[in-house]
Amino acid sequence: MMSKSRCLAGCVVLLVGSALVWAAQAAPDAAANKEKERQLIAVLRSDAPPAEKAITCKRLAVYGSQEAVPALTPLLFDKELSSWARIALEVIPGPAADAALRNALGTAQGRLLVGIINSIAVRRDVEAVNALAEKLKDSDPEVASAAAVALGSIGGAAAVKILEPALADVPALVRPAVAEGCILCAEKSLAAGQSAEAVRLYDLVRRATLPKQRLLEATRGAILARGPAGIALLAEQLESPDKAQFGIGLRTARELEGQEVTQALAVEMNRLSPVRQPLLLLALADRRDAAVLPLVLKTAGGGPKALRVTALEVLVRLGNVSCVPVLLAAAAEEDAELAGTARQTLIHLPGAEVDADLLARLPQATGKTRQVLIDLAGQRQIDGALAAIRSGLQDADAGIRGAAVQAIGVMGEAGQLADLVQLLQKSPSPRERADVEKALLAISGRWGASCVPPLQALLQSSDTTLRTVGLHGMAVAGGPEALAAVKAALADKNETIQDEAARTLSTWPNNWPADEAAAEALLQLAKSEQKVLHQVLGLRGYLEYVRGDKKLNNAAKVAKVRELLPLMPRPEEKRLAISVVGAVRTAGALELLTTLASDPAVAEDACAAIVSLTGRGLPGASRQQRQKALETVVEKSKNDATRKKAEEGLKEIR
Amino acid sequence: MSQGQVLLSRRRLLKTAAKAGAVLTLPYVVPGAVLGKDGGVAPSERIILGGIGIGNRGTYDLGCFLHEPDVRFVAVCDVKGERRKVVKEMVDNRYGNRDCATYIDLRELLARRDIDAVLIATGPSWHGTAAILAAQAGKDVYCEKPCTRNIAQSLALAQVFRRTGRVFQAGTQRRSLPNFVYAVELARSGRLGKLQTMYAHPMTLNVQSSGWLPAEPERSREDVDWDLYLGPAPWRPFNAKHLRSFDFEEGGGLVGGGCLPWGSHCVDLCQWANDADRTAPAEYEPKEGQLHARYANGVRLIIRMNGWLPLGSCPVRFEGDKGWVETGDDAELVASSPALLAGKGVKIPGYPADFHIRNFLDCVKTRARTRSDAEATCYAHIACHAANIALFLGRKVCYDPAQNEFPNDDEANRLRSEALREPWRL
Repeated sequence: MMSKSRCLAGCVVLLVGSALVWAAQAAPDAAANKEKERQLIAVLRSDAPPAEKAITCKRLAVYGSQEAVPALTPLLFDKELSSWARIALEVIPGPAADAALRNALGTAQGRLLVGIINSIAVRRDVEAVNALAEKLKDSDPEVASAAAVALGSIGGAAAVKILEPALADVPALVRPAVAEGCILCAEKSLAAGQSAEAVRLYDLVRRATLPKQRLLEATRGAILARGPAGIALLAEQLESPDKAQFGIGLRTARELEGQEVTQALAVEMNRLSPVRQPLLLLALADRRDAAVLPLVLKTAGGGPKALRVTALEVLVRLGNVSCVPVLLAAAAEEDAELAGTARQTLIHLPGAEVDADLLARLPQATGKTRQVLIDLAGQRQIDGALAAIRSGLQDADAGIRGAAVQAIGVMGEAGQLADLVQLLQKSPSPRERADVEKALLAISGRWGASCVPPLQALLQSSDTTLRTVGLHGMAVAGGPEALAAVKAALADKNETIQDEAARTLSTWPNNWPADEAAAEALLQLAKSEQKVLHQVLGLRGYLEYVRGDKKLNNAAKVAKVRELLPLMPRPEEKRLAISVVGAVRTAGALELLTTLASDPAVAEDACAAIVSLTGRGLPGASRQQRQKALETVVEKSKNDATRKKAEEGLKEIR
Repeated sequence: MSQGQVLLSRRRLLKTAAKAGAVLTLPYVVPGAVLGKDGGVAPSERIILGGIGIGNRGTYDLGCFLHEPDVRFVAVCDVKGERRKVVKEMVDNRYGNRDCATYIDLRELLARRDIDAVLIATGPSWHGTAAILAAQAGKDVYCEKPCTRNIAQSLALAQVFRRTGRVFQAGTQRRSLPNFVYAVELARSGRLGKLQTMYAHPMTLNVQSSGWLPAEPERSREDVDWDLYLGPAPWRPFNAKHLRSFDFEEGGGLVGGGCLPWGSHCVDLCQWANDADRTAPAEYEPKEGQLHARYANGVRLIIRMNGWLPLGSCPVRFEGDKGWVETGDDAELVASSPALLAGKGVKIPGYPADFHIRNFLDCVKTRARTRSDAEATCYAHIACHAANIALFLGRKVCYDPAQNEFPNDDEANRLRSEALREPWRL
């Protein structure tokens, strides 16, 4: 047994096997590498502990040559080090490693033998075929199975000659591995252009008594190896009542190449049940030949609804400008599912020529088609469509106006805000106003401060609803001018506008460096004593600013919350403060939470936060601080689970 | 806009198919269907799910699966007794029974014929091997990331899922989140102009090798099955510190850590943005504390720790000759022009996996490719592994994604694979 110190030394060697150490050793200096190999071989021949020999094997995987093979070979029979030795032997070039593994076949037993066979398989050692044939007869099914798969990995006529009769002869436990070997040989034959031999092997496996999965693999191979002549066998799978066979049929329908195959599958689709038809259509759509598109397009144009929906959907992947008429007609249909599917496909259908086609149709289109085209122009952000979309804002048809509003929201710039403001001012419909507001906010969010001037027009309106929309727009646009406008609205004569300005300010985004001033305004609001609602909104907004501002360090966050606490009479805000402080992993946060735990209104929240914080490790918090906080939890909390966690934490500390 | 970038709602198809009114004529009855009729989903339409290695992340994923009405979770397999207990309790509480079966050995769970699909969240050392075993046993797989230990395993993953016809989804859920999808769309559609440079955050650029800690007394098999915990990783004595599954073997064994943990998300998104799901960069070079890679189409990929806007974890940035966009887990999008952001979708911060899991379940039914299928996962991981190899060797390496080799670079080629401990194989 190795001494503890030696073992530890070995561990150190292994764990420091980092990039730098290895990289230094991997300098492309042949002489240095040779010397390194010599030293590594010496380790293997010494009485070094297994840990050291293990890492040495790994290094020999990089630096070893055939000279290392004699030192590695004895380890093949060591149950602790065999797998390490094979790491090197599997990759060392040259016949010496092959010979060592082959020779070991005669001596090794059980799992070690299985490993050696597996390594021979990886090296594809043709000279091992006869020895593997012997192992195929081994009474241990794991050994025989490994030999079968190894023969398959090596492949060739000699391997086939052994595997073919074995398919009938071997015990049932080994047969799946022999089948795997045959399938591997078939794959090699196919890759070498010997498709007849591949078909023969696949068919051989298909006729054997095997687990279903192996039969499915052979079936797939048999179809693909036959090429277009495999259609009949493929159809057999698709028509099979067996779910797994139908499944492999769907899979193979995607792989078997050729337009004649596509045509045959289209005919086959008509023979299937309504439930299976869409599944085959999906498979067809995954094929990549010219026969697919006309077929799918025809299906999309008419027929059973389920199939149409599928066809309309898959056109997105294989369609082109020629599909636009069919899709457009479907998108204008009454059936919501058909129309929605067609719309989605038109939105994503690739190609600049599709944009051009849609754009060309827009001027003369009317009714539902015009609505669809405007919607698509916006969704696809078609350059040059803006004029037509803007004209849609004046349309008498509410549907067309709605599509135009949405499209401008998606692709409009600050310049289009005036159009929206105008529509907002004259629209009596609350729904339309809501849609316009959405579009207006979307543009403001994208184009920021440049949107402030047109938004000012709204703030100057006499209509309170419009002024409210203007405030919302300012918050989304952001920047000093927008902030100033909202702050000014806090002093408005209209109380509704004051309240909305306070609400807007309380949800002001705080991640824009230009809007840091929002924090100060929120603090002022929190300290104002005019209206409780404003104070509450100010507090909440300021706390969210403290939580979200990435420039505030942890200490500043805790200090700001502490400063604010006297302004918080209500438990609701205190709870928000606890959630902000509870996310700050510092001793200061722990201390503040411990203080808050003494407030009966929020004690439970503070206790839960303390437990969570102490459980995640607290840089800078002393043992005493953690102990005191957890003791407070044990004393104050009425929640069994929280108390239990605190007690566990205390146990760890003590 | 190019093909494949648009998210297709297969869920709607499934609903439509169900509404078609035709009774499923298949005689195939999922044995698990007898477990109940709640949720309004026909028993024959339910996906019977098992879980393998359900730790912290797996528990989150499992929660998402349990919320899907067409999923019935029936069994958990974990080498850790405590995790088996916790997950069984979670599942049984959800269904109001005691039916969730428990297993120590994944082979026993995979042998159950009633299970259609498995959630694999064992930790990176086991992910690839377990996923391959599951596919060979006829299961569809949702597998947490990083999904593979090395280049060879990445290729094997893609090959096995192709051969078996099983559905695979990597737990790279950012492919299903609107802000990342939108940023990728901008890059792929040409709205940024010709794509020039992409940036990915790796979490770390320190590559590590696995270790061997001093032996501690081994625990009972019921508590921790150490042999199965090690699984395909080379043998070492029991030590409780190894039991942090995500860190064990550093996700790669001989060359682990590095850009794997986040690269499997961020590099993956760059692959997608560059329409490179079936290939990988051709050059990788450690440079000034970063890793610079280049694709054959000339697009550069820079894997860097610093220089990011404060947009949350796992950020990516795509730069074209006409504009740029950057986003991260805060779900905010920042672009060179506000016009680029018109039409962006809803903001969903916190990288939830629900949408990604739904996509997987829909594909289990349609047999279509998932958003993060085995091929895309293979090459995104190859990019990470090749980058790690360059970092490990401390020099530039060139990779041929067609031949899957480092031409004339024996040192790098040797690091493409690592022998699996007996009896495991790919």
